[in-house]
Amino acid sequence: MSIFSQLTVNGLIAGSIYALVASGFSLIYGTNKFMHFAHGVSVAVAAYLLYSFFSLAGINFYFSVLLTLIFSGVFGLLMYRGIYLPLQNKKASNVILLIASIGILILVENLIQIIYGADVKVINFIEVAQGLNFFGAIITPLQIVIILSSVILFVSLYFFMKKTRLGRDMRAVADNKELASIVGINYKRVASYSFIIGSVLAGIAGILIGLEQNLRPLMGTDLIIRGFTGAVIGGITSVPASILGSYILGFAENYGIWFLPSGYKDAIAFALLLIFLLFRPRGLFGLKREVEK
Amino acid sequence: MPVEFISPYITNLLIFIGIYIILVVSLNLTLGYTGMLNLGHVALFAIGAYTSALLMTRLDFPFVIAFLAAGIFAGFFGYVLVLATKKLKGDYFALATLGFAFIVVNLLLNLQGLTHGPLGIPGIPKPSLFGLTIQSNFSYLIFVAIVAFVSVFIIYKIVKSPFGRILEATRDDEIGLRVLGKNTVKLKYKAMIISGFFAGIAGSLFAHYLSFIDPSSFHLSEIILVLTIVIVGGLASIKGSILASFVILLIPEVLRFLALPSSIIGPGRQIIYALILITILMYKPRGLFGRVDLE
Repeated sequence: MSIFSQLTVNGLIAGSIYALVASGFSLIYGTNKFMHFAHGVSVAVAAYLLYSFFSLAGINFYFSVLLTLIFSGVFGLLMYRGIYLPLQNKKASNVILLIASIGILILVENLIQIIYGADVKVINFIEVAQGLNFFGAIITPLQIVIILSSVILFVSLYFFMKKTRLGRDMRAVADNKELASIVGINYKRVASYSFIIGSVLAGIAGILIGLEQNLRPLMGTDLIIRGFTGAVIGGITSVPASILGSYILGFAENYGIWFLPSGYKDAIAFALLLIFLLFRPRGLFGLKREVEK
Repeated sequence: MPVEFISPYITNLLIFIGIYIILVVSLNLTLGYTGMLNLGHVALFAIGAYTSALLMTRLDFPFVIAFLAAGIFAGFFGYVLVLATKKLKGDYFALATLGFAFIVVNLLLNLQGLTHGPLGIPGIPKPSLFGLTIQSNFSYLIFVAIVAFVSVFIIYKIVKSPFGRILEATRDDEIGLRVLGKNTVKLKYKAMIISGFFAGIAGSLFAHYLSFIDPSSFHLSEIILVLTIVIVGGLASIKGSILASFVILLIPEVLRFLALPSSIIGPGRQIIYALILITILMYKPRGLFGRVDLE
């Protein structure tokens, strides 16, 4: 029973982390309809920013977090205004934007490596605390914070998308860009906001992941592959579906190592990615149109 | 054996350029001529490299067989890739091929019994042809140059043939071609098998030159490099791909002459490739000699 509880808790933690990445990725995909792979590096940038502000510059932790979130939003807006929007204005196809985003990912990852070095960094904010016993599973206080804050974040994101004007505009653009502009929604404004909000979500993910794990220059690629897989499992066009898909991925990976050696965690994620891309590219909860011929 | 009359440094560079010419021209066959948004080409290169290396180190196959098997096996995986993805359109096809590339690297890392995982395969023997072993780097360069010349010549003949024109028609107007009764999926199979074959033999040349391969040689950054070369040279231009292979692979060599530490040269090279890619996409998306847009 305790193995089962431990794997459940681990699945929940992994799922929360993947969902934090997937939610921003899917939000940006919804309004822009291209795969912003550089979203992974936004997470890494946030983690390294927090490290610079808090661990290197010695700024107060909560103020460091605030600065990190502001810079994350600015970083997202810069990517959109500086690279993606000019490309879109030139009628670049979605695949060009996808390739450009992989270019940004590689570019920024290597900049991080030059600036901070290839060795791992640690943000020592919370002392490694004694794990708590939770139905026979060990969980650290920080991991509880990760799970709780992601759940709170997802609920507020849901209400933001449902209840606010901007959220409704975003859903309208995601649903039908032409129709949305006919009823007077400014597409560029909505797209800019989705980049800012999506990148702030990446910033939150980077902060939580940075506190829980070591910082590595290439962490962004690994995270975006997981977040992307979670989004594909659930249905990339919808934020709640992507979040659910990420939790499914987290559980599948962890229950999977009940039967398989733990080295196969990656293989489980990739097998799911392949199965969904090939047999159900719209995901479990996605709509059929615009994916298949 | 001839005296080495060009420096080892230049020889080494030219060998890599020769290998990349095969890899990039074969990618242009699918990406440029047939209009398939194939982001998984590097995986076929990896499959070729591992096939050839494993056949020679584990089963003592002669080089010629291992070399051809690398091409055939990679071509077969090209076939499987089209078989699996034939229903997907546009960026989902691109993503599925990218996913395929991730999965291949992951399998190379995890099938430790076969591939030694992250430790890679050391001691890959130098090729021997008809009893002659290619020992020196200079003779390897001659060998690569011959293979590259023959490969490019074959692909050139293919794209100039009626079959090549039908491939371009598939790219320009797939539905129109179907109306005329052509089986466009079959054409894509053929293009991908040929493209995969040449990616595979390029992988074999890569493995036997370095005598050591590990999964890190086939990561996302490698995909970016190959795409950068094809896009800089221009889609559906063999001349462009060849020229761009020289230009793109030579530019980062500048870093070497700036006496920078190796911890900066590695990432610096990737930064240069990524910057070139983003710049060309933004300001000259058709590259040097491109005839079509990437759609």
